[in-house]
Amino acid sequence: MVTKINIKELTSSHLKIKGLELTVGRFVESEDWAEPMGPTPYPTIMDLREWDLKLLKRYQPFYSPLSDFCEFCTFGKCDLTAGKRGACGIDMAGHIGKWSLLQSVMGASAHTTHAHHLLNFLIKQYGGDQPIDLGSEVEIEAPITRLITGIKPKKLSDLIDVVNYLEGQITHLLSATATGQEQNYLDYESKALHAGMLDILALEVADIAQISALGFPKGDAETPLIEVGMGVVEREKPVILCIGHNVAPGSEVINYLDETGLYGQIEVAGVCCTASDLARFSKGAKIVGPISRQLRFIRMGIADVVIVDQECVRADVIEEAVKVGSRVIATSDQLVGGLPNLTNMDEDTIVQKLASGDAKAVVIQDPVKVGRVAVKAAQLIAPLRANQKGYDKDKVLAKASLCSLCLSCTKNCPIGINVGLAVNTAKRGDPSLLLEVFDECLGCGRCDSSCPNDVPVLTVVDAASEDKIKRERFKIRAGRGPIKDTEIRNVGRPIVMGEIPGVVVFAGCANYPGGNNHLAMMADEFAKRRYIVVTSGCAALDIARYKDENGQTLYEKYPGDFDAGCIVNLGPCVSNAHAVGAVVKIASIFAKRNLRGNFEEIADYILNRIGAVAIAWGSQHQKAMSIATGANRFGIPVILGPQGVKHRRAYLGRSEDYGRWLVYNAKDGQLVYGGPSPEHLLCVVETPEEAMVMASKMVMRPNDTPKGRMIKISNYVSLHRQLYGCLPEDLHLFVRDENDLPVTIKEEVLQIIKQRGWKPIEIPDPTLLSRMVMGGR
Amino acid sequence: MSKAVPWDEAEVRGPKLAYTITPENCGRMIRRAKRLLIVVGGNILDEEYTKAGTLHILERIVKKTNATLAISAGVFKAFHRFEDAKYAVNVESLVDRLKDGNWMGFDGKGGYDFILFVGSLYPFQSMMLATLKHFAPNIRTLTIERYYHPNAEFSLENLSFERWRDGLEALVKALEA
Repeated sequence: MVTKINIKELTSSHLKIKGLELTVGRFVESEDWAEPMGPTPYPTIMDLREWDLKLLKRYQPFYSPLSDFCEFCTFGKCDLTAGKRGACGIDMAGHIGKWSLLQSVMGASAHTTHAHHLLNFLIKQYGGDQPIDLGSEVEIEAPITRLITGIKPKKLSDLIDVVNYLEGQITHLLSATATGQEQNYLDYESKALHAGMLDILALEVADIAQISALGFPKGDAETPLIEVGMGVVEREKPVILCIGHNVAPGSEVINYLDETGLYGQIEVAGVCCTASDLARFSKGAKIVGPISRQLRFIRMGIADVVIVDQECVRADVIEEAVKVGSRVIATSDQLVGGLPNLTNMDEDTIVQKLASGDAKAVVIQDPVKVGRVAVKAAQLIAPLRANQKGYDKDKVLAKASLCSLCLSCTKNCPIGINVGLAVNTAKRGDPSLLLEVFDECLGCGRCDSSCPNDVPVLTVVDAASEDKIKRERFKIRAGRGPIKDTEIRNVGRPIVMGEIPGVVVFAGCANYPGGNNHLAMMADEFAKRRYIVVTSGCAALDIARYKDENGQTLYEKYPGDFDAGCIVNLGPCVSNAHAVGAVVKIASIFAKRNLRGNFEEIADYILNRIGAVAIAWGSQHQKAMSIATGANRFGIPVILGPQGVKHRRAYLGRSEDYGRWLVYNAKDGQLVYGGPSPEHLLCVVETPEEAMVMASKMVMRPNDTPKGRMIKISNYVSLHRQLYGCLPEDLHLFVRDENDLPVTIKEEVLQIIKQRGWKPIEIPDPTLLSRMVMGGR
Repeated sequence: MSKAVPWDEAEVRGPKLAYTITPENCGRMIRRAKRLLIVVGGNILDEEYTKAGTLHILERIVKKTNATLAISAGVFKAFHRFEDAKYAVNVESLVDRLKDGNWMGFDGKGGYDFILFVGSLYPFQSMMLATLKHFAPNIRTLTIERYYHPNAEFSLENLSFERWRDGLEALVKALEA
């Protein structure tokens, strides 16, 4: 971290200083990086505020309060309904702005802590001099880090400064949420955008560190196909299940199995992003599934030892695991679960305690020790628990007889599945509806705790679906990590010119409004249309849970290159950094823009020229909100599924508001109309059909060439007709010139849009930054 | 004696809660609207709505009131047979415009004084109604869902499917009377 002191003029009796600039700190060697430093290395909250306000003027915050009250201090709770102010003076917009910031800070801090823990572990294991190496075809190894901090990290220890920066900024951001600090909703949002950007940086730090040290794939398109599904785990073997996001303990399990020759004799599986990372570490690791499989797999009792690390671990996992006789090891200071800390205890003593049941759940904060203890304990425990694996189907289904059809479970289902009717029908001897519920269920278990008659609703659903669970076996490509510079060279131009219609990223959690097949359906459609489709996190896992008519998952059907008509699995949540990194690299490699400490210019480039959009169909976690907000600051729009409305905030454009769409024409500095593209930065849609049409619209950019815009319009019109059955009402807003229209619809469309008063406009060289006019960079 | 409770038991709100009204009163209220907008959500083709004949109900309401239909774009295709003013919308963007007092409506003739909601996932509709309750308190909102929505100005109470289906019919009859 470098601190700058700038003294313009100082006069005292002993001293007179003018124009002194003093820089103090530890420098990261970057002698082979010729780029000049840009204006905002290690930006503070205020450094990018002007950029944020430009975005927020065009894409204004749209708030949906989840509660009518503010409950943050002891003056309250205060009713903020319809214009009322609270005792501190805050109004609802300010209050939701604060929530927006809080959620983004939660997400950014979770990933920063993750990066911090992982980096400490990797430096301890492999040394601070371990090179940052993402393979021979990835020269821009850390585009986000270069862009935001202005450093070019060469070894793991170079990332320490970045983590220190992240932690310092997050403290400042969190501080602004205290009563009596920030009060303006736009500034809350500016800070939320800052938090989101920091989150993307934290993701990159975590992922490039683990890729470099743990030998993960380095941008290979053909990564191994890994098994995913609740049916892939061989329950006859001792089973170790890893849950969370930090791969360190799980990787040490595999290392120990290798060392002792036990590899293959013990099953190592994972849920959520740890699972994705284990699959990158070893192709023998198995993926149970996304977060929606967590509670149900635990309850099946198949795991002998459950290792929990951090993030996305359910708050009842320890209790549920212990209930079915599994043993639990918590490994992170972020989640110690009220358990005894045995980190310093002798390894064999811990194993004995776990095996005897003297200790059923413990904390061990040393990943190497976790690996050894977990394996030894699983070997001892598994034979004792052989009859505790899986459900006693008849016994569980008999509990449906307690159902009184009060529908409390249905009312409490986040997606409104009529689970009560299914259970009651099973009570009357027909379990078929339970099997239907299984396909859509998110596995949250809210139905269980709402039942006044103590029917274990989720368990009843799963027990009835046991055969389905056993058959649940799919294939996913292990996450490939970064996009290669060579790929960027190939696709940079066609993306910027619009000839590849866009990059569509499927990211986020498993909180879908109607099953996960919708995700695969959308990904398939865009791949068929030769968009570049990118997946990550739980969305990547769920896309694998669908087979086409030939029995193939999309990962088997489409190549894994970053190219038109391919589907790229980047990896877990932290790999989202590579999606953002890819568009940043397009600005650098294709457009030759400087990255170093140059955030605003690059974000402006992305917003105006690179047709990328993300769909977080099941957005649930604060981290999803934070990553989305970060992507927004980079100029990448995000579409959320209907549950995403509960994040309480969107950033919406108004296509008819001419003034919002004015851009500088960099050629001559004139303010000109660039069109509503992208129309929104963050918006919620209700149906997969709407998500697809919206995405096809949101990849349009003011800079598209006529040929590129023609391809984008062609897809927009075709999807609109296919899914809505008509031409888009707003088509005239996206046709800049007759040449933008595909020949097949030109005559028809021109006639219609001319009736709507359409007139051609000049295609600008667009920028929101006046300093970029006339090659100002 | 009865109390109106939200369908989603956790959707406990503040002091300003929807008035529960009968379907018949819904019909009378709709009749008095000057500029009625009907917001149709993306779940309108779900089984429960189709079993209740909701599309036919909407068709009759529109015929009687000249209401404008704003239809969540993903289900727009099902409304092609509707001859009246209809628009495929992103509901969130629409609500963004509704809370803007300067918005002149789809036809440019002015804003809408009465908004009827139907056909969205419960939490989604609840949040859209919350936006209007807080940021456009002068707009009257009514939901004719089967479930009580505290964030609307007027809502039906939680009803059994049969009572709701029959209630929708009663609503239209009151409107047509």
